[in-house]
Amino acid sequence: MLLTLDLNDARPLHEQVAAAIRRAIGEGSCAPGDRLPPARELAQALGINTNTVLRALRDLRDEGLLEFRRGRGVSVAGVAGGRALLVQRARELLEDAQRHGYGREDLITILEELP
Amino acid sequence: MTPGTTTVSATPSRRTAALWGLAVSVTLAAGPLVLRHRLPDPLAVHWGAGLGPDRSMPLAASATVGVALWAVVWVALLAIAPAVSGRRSARAGWWGALAGSSVLVLAMEATTLLANLDAPSWREARLSGWLFAAAPVVAVAAALLAVRLGRGEADGLTGEVSAPPELRLRPGQRAVWVGRAGNRWLSGLTAAAGAGGVLLGVLWALGVVGDGAAGGTLPGVAIVLLAGLFTSSLTARVTEGGLAIGFGPFGWPVRRIRLDRIARAWSETRSPVEVGGWGFRGLPGDATIMLRGGECLVVGYRSGGRLAVSVDDAERAASLINTLIGDQVSA
Repeated sequence: MLLTLDLNDARPLHEQVAAAIRRAIGEGSCAPGDRLPPARELAQALGINTNTVLRALRDLRDEGLLEFRRGRGVSVAGVAGGRALLVQRARELLEDAQRHGYGREDLITILEELP
Repeated sequence: MTPGTTTVSATPSRRTAALWGLAVSVTLAAGPLVLRHRLPDPLAVHWGAGLGPDRSMPLAASATVGVALWAVVWVALLAIAPAVSGRRSARAGWWGALAGSSVLVLAMEATTLLANLDAPSWREARLSGWLFAAAPVVAVAAALLAVRLGRGEADGLTGEVSAPPELRLRPGQRAVWVGRAGNRWLSGLTAAAGAGGVLLGVLWALGVVGDGAAGGTLPGVAIVLLAGLFTSSLTARVTEGGLAIGFGPFGWPVRRIRLDRIARAWSETRSPVEVGGWGFRGLPGDATIMLRGGECLVVGYRSGGRLAVSVDDAERAASLINTLIGDQVSA
């Protein structure tokens, strides 16, 4: 699974990791039933603490996206909920807009202007 | 590299193989039949050291065994023919196996029949030493010739190659890719070996199994267990540091390939039949780490070689590797 973190993101790291995993699942990196790479492996790749990754995984489990099974590791339980994914994309869109000098209201105006 | 799927010509032809195998079978059966008046019955079929005959078999049985042995090889080759069409080495190997095995069975039968020809009984059958030595040599020569003729076009792109989609990273974005692959059968085998080892230990401790039996079985169990631990699953990750492949459930040992050694990456569909089985396959420079058939991540080295590893979600890994290489070059 491809995980992307933004170095300028001010959110807590575990939230960013959860967002990255949610996005990866949403984009089809992992199908329901697929096993996730071990948390230790994800942590090493991202260069962060394993506990941070585990916290992100637990958040996603509570969200119903992941499933923890004894002896079988962590697997994808379902497709990312439409709303969770939309919220995520909206957040990214907002960040993109701010990078280009547009604010929240500008974005809302753009959305309203869409047919 | 061209995107999409390439079809490879010079596919091993099942029809050619079927006709060829049939001709070999007929020859194997016809030899003893035609020469039956000049052959002893039973026939000498095995020679010990010093080229003296030490085993015999009735003529009909010997002919049947010869054809049956060949038939097993023939049917096996026919069965895997569709699977080997993709890669040049697999294709060439397949043709080599067909030609080499058929020439070997024919040469062995010819040697046997010549030794028995006009002998009053099987005990007088004299094996010609040089003929016996020539049979494998001729077979290997035939195999090499077939490899050369049957290899077909070079692998520009092998099997089903898909060009990885381009990945764009914004400044300040950090991307990593982590993937895994596992083989349920190998895991099962490993678990069975582990359970078997424990059971053996308990039985030995209880005195049910003797020292000799336990000592004899333990090395085999240990080998399966160790091999299984390191080859039943793997994890791979792509970071700015390069590609790292960790073996087994603990991700150790790790094979690391730095980004500056990689020219480009792509994903490919490979099957165990094509690469010659499970585990580490091929030669350094064109090796495959094969855990299960299907999607493989392939990295092409700057030095010209390549390494393939069977792993899920390989396409994204290839995209990221290519992006990271591009960033390194432009940076």
